[in-house]
Amino acid sequence: MDYFLELLLGGLTRGSIYALIALGYTMVYGVLGLINFAHGEVYMIGAFVGLIVSGLLTVLGWPVLAIVAIATVCAMVYAAAYGFTIEKVAYQPLRHAPRLSPLISAIGMSIFLQNYVLLAQSSDFQAFPQLVPDFEFLEPYTHIILSSELVIILAGVVTLIVLFLLIKFTKIGKAMRAISQDRQMAMLLGVNVDNVISATFIIGSALAGLGGILVASHVGQINFYIGFIAGLKAFTAAVLGGIGSIPGAALGGLILGWTESFATGYVSSDYEDVFAFGLLVFILIFRPAGILGKVSSEKV
Amino acid sequence: MMLKLNDIHTFYGNIQALKGVSLEIEEGEIITLIGSNGAGKTTTLMSVCGLTPPRTGEILFRGKQIHALNADKIVALGISQIPEGRRIFPEFTIKENLEMGAYLRNDKVEIRKDLDYMFDLFPILKERQNQRGGSLSGGEQQMLAISRALMARPTLLLLDEPSLGLAPIIVRQIFDIIKKINQEQKTTIFLVEQNANLALKVAHRGYVMENGQITLVDSASNLLNDEAVKKIYLGA
Repeated sequence: MDYFLELLLGGLTRGSIYALIALGYTMVYGVLGLINFAHGEVYMIGAFVGLIVSGLLTVLGWPVLAIVAIATVCAMVYAAAYGFTIEKVAYQPLRHAPRLSPLISAIGMSIFLQNYVLLAQSSDFQAFPQLVPDFEFLEPYTHIILSSELVIILAGVVTLIVLFLLIKFTKIGKAMRAISQDRQMAMLLGVNVDNVISATFIIGSALAGLGGILVASHVGQINFYIGFIAGLKAFTAAVLGGIGSIPGAALGGLILGWTESFATGYVSSDYEDVFAFGLLVFILIFRPAGILGKVSSEKV
Repeated sequence: MMLKLNDIHTFYGNIQALKGVSLEIEEGEIITLIGSNGAGKTTTLMSVCGLTPPRTGEILFRGKQIHALNADKIVALGISQIPEGRRIFPEFTIKENLEMGAYLRNDKVEIRKDLDYMFDLFPILKERQNQRGGSLSGGEQQMLAISRALMARPTLLLLDEPSLGLAPIIVRQIFDIIKKINQEQKTTIFLVEQNANLALKVAHRGYVMENGQITLVDSASNLLNDEAVKKIYLGA
């Protein structure tokens, strides 16, 4: 039973991470109809900023709590700045180009950022400090859940709730939903589409940065390639849940996290990816738009 | 002078849609732009709204150049468009659609009042305010589209083919509303229509457009009796 619980919570942790990153994919797809392949790299950069800032503050002898808070904020702000810049440099000039062009630009941006970090940080794995302290109240349960896992799950849940409220009730959220339904009409009602798209990138990238630092602190090591793999999985989660749908990203993340966790626990960790991508294929056969995705005819 | 188009040329890529269009609208007027499919009527409206800005020529709104402004800045000046096909947000409820119309406004109390006014104007919208926009019939969508545009409190309202695809009885209702808005709210109206007969009956003046150019300008009553217009656009 403990083993099952461990896998369940482990899956929930993975799922929360996938969901955090998948939200960025799905929000951008919602407003732009574009898969932002550089999103995983933003996550990776968030992790590196966390590493640099926490290392610096540790050397300066700051208290642990301050280090965690400042490193997290820096990772999110930095990631947001990257997301904003990526959109301005790689996507905005292609706003009216055929759909394939921004996609290629996204892949190019992803490769560029990976290699830029590779040059700056080398390809070696670097140790990441454990930012989240061990909670005493979790002491009897450490065989089931670690405190860093608990923090990841909580961060995932809180983020989802905040984002849901933002999308549902704020002006910018309404503008995002309006743009995803009919961009031209949104413009005719006075929505500044460029600003809303920028905001979408900023929010999605900040969440990726948060995910980056949380995961890095949990796993304990990072290199330039972690974003590519996490991005691929999160993208799978977004497609699984129905790309463009925020609850879909959360659900897709959870399902993917559990699938991997149970496949690893009961079959073999070698088959983790087989089950993850097998599930994707299976779902896309029966629901091509994803679990919560809307079936819509392609506008030509 | 409310709106003045001065020799505007608009392109889609390399294709020229407007070849030197000039027109004028006085404060409080209803003017109509008639013409066949592909004449450039919709492009004219989209040029005014900043979605397809003209390559050359100028557009003046109350004497101020607006052809280089972003679409949202133009809306903020008081120009609203009800585009062809109504373009209701299908996933928003009727209430959310109306609130989107007031996107640039921050006066909550007044927005509330305007919402009530729209529900007064079209009681069917009040009944269905929590239904999705996509679930409405064509006529109801047109009512919603008009109300949504009015939520911005425009001083100039551009309407693109409001009669398209609607039953004759609904069309008459819509046109009565258009006249009412013009008289009660003093909203200036720029109406683009293929149904020239109807349009010329509500409008004060009319412009006839062919191949991206204005070919005729006159009072609506003169155009209704013009032999050429009758033959081509009124089917008589």
